[in-house]
Amino acid sequence: MTAPISGALREVTTTATGLVGGAGNYWDAANQNAQLKRDRAALMRRMVEARGILEENQQLKAALQLREHNREAVAAGRVVGSSFESSRRFAIISVGSSEGVQVGMPVRAAEGLIGRVIDAGSIASRVLLVTDRANIVPARILRGGQPVISTGRGDGTIDVRPLEVGKNPFKPGDVIVTSGTGGLYPPLVPIGKVIRLDDDGAIALPIADPSRVSFAIVEPPFEPTALAAAAESASEGP
Amino acid sequence: MVRSALGPQGARLNKGPRVGADYIPAATVVAGSLLSLLPIVSATGWWPDFGLLMLLGWRLLRADAWPAWWAAPLGFVNDVIVGNPIGLSVAMWAAIMIALDILDRRTMWRDYWIEWAIATVVIALSEIAHWRVAGLLGAEVRFNISAGPAILVGVLTFPIAAFIATRLDRWRLGR
Repeated sequence: MTAPISGALREVTTTATGLVGGAGNYWDAANQNAQLKRDRAALMRRMVEARGILEENQQLKAALQLREHNREAVAAGRVVGSSFESSRRFAIISVGSSEGVQVGMPVRAAEGLIGRVIDAGSIASRVLLVTDRANIVPARILRGGQPVISTGRGDGTIDVRPLEVGKNPFKPGDVIVTSGTGGLYPPLVPIGKVIRLDDDGAIALPIADPSRVSFAIVEPPFEPTALAAAAESASEGP
Repeated sequence: MVRSALGPQGARLNKGPRVGADYIPAATVVAGSLLSLLPIVSATGWWPDFGLLMLLGWRLLRADAWPAWWAAPLGFVNDVIVGNPIGLSVAMWAAIMIALDILDRRTMWRDYWIEWAIATVVIALSEIAHWRVAGLLGAEVRFNISAGPAILVGVLTFPIAAFIATRLDRWRLGR
């Protein structure tokens, strides 16, 4: 009910934090400029490579006759609040069942995965963030593609562990993406970036910070049958 | 002549409890619960439970702020607004009221430090209960990154809640 008010206030806080961050950027403008130019050149090379790979991929898929349906977003809303009083990590987004949001749908931002819907009201819904302990996301390391499991740690970071026991496959800076296993989350959505290794896994920071993303996009589950399973498990308890 | 008329002009005349003074304490507890709707998106859950802090602030200030059974509906409102499992605050707030009633009979005297100590114990128990319930619901997080800091923040913000309750109490009774 209070989502519209929270939404308006949220705009104010976002602007204020943006101003503070923006002022800091001016201090270091020249260095940043040079750095950005270098990055841009590197990215251009990377992009050309990627385009080549994409074309090759399309040819191979055509050869395999893989079907890939176009995915359309269900709704897009703002992150208007969070469970900042509780040890659970939830966020409130300003779209609900009147826009077609259902329990179990994955929520992402342009930057990466945010979580999934666990409660859908008529004009707002509650999202279980990827940083919540109870949110387990099948994932893989972008470099090399080794399957891993991502679990929240409850303090804004993510715990990633490899599925296969053996040598620790992570390196600081590795990007973790969803694997699409299980059919709920679409594949290749960035989840986090590894910042520290521990004994057999690693700790990652989420790429899409719910306090900074401008829009949360609710998507249909990758495989529609996954929604029924998610609704069942949600009714048993979040 | 009434004695109060001898004092500074207008200082004491026509002063009495405000309209709805009986409901102001409960309203501030609900207002504390409503603070959780602020558009704060936090990566950690270390903010204090404002509804509980106001409840404690009032209850430690005076035993007759509201009838004891009001703790249950107030807890229900808190659960619905904050998004706790329904019934968690109902049970806990009712238990807190009972415990403090028993404590009132046992303690010989009260001062600021004793009240803060009582509040510390209650806030700690409440955060630990939240932490355990979250664990039972499948979100077992380490104590020192969730409930630990939350207890510390709650205990340190309690004096603010107690101050607000004291000032509001004087205002509502027209003193």
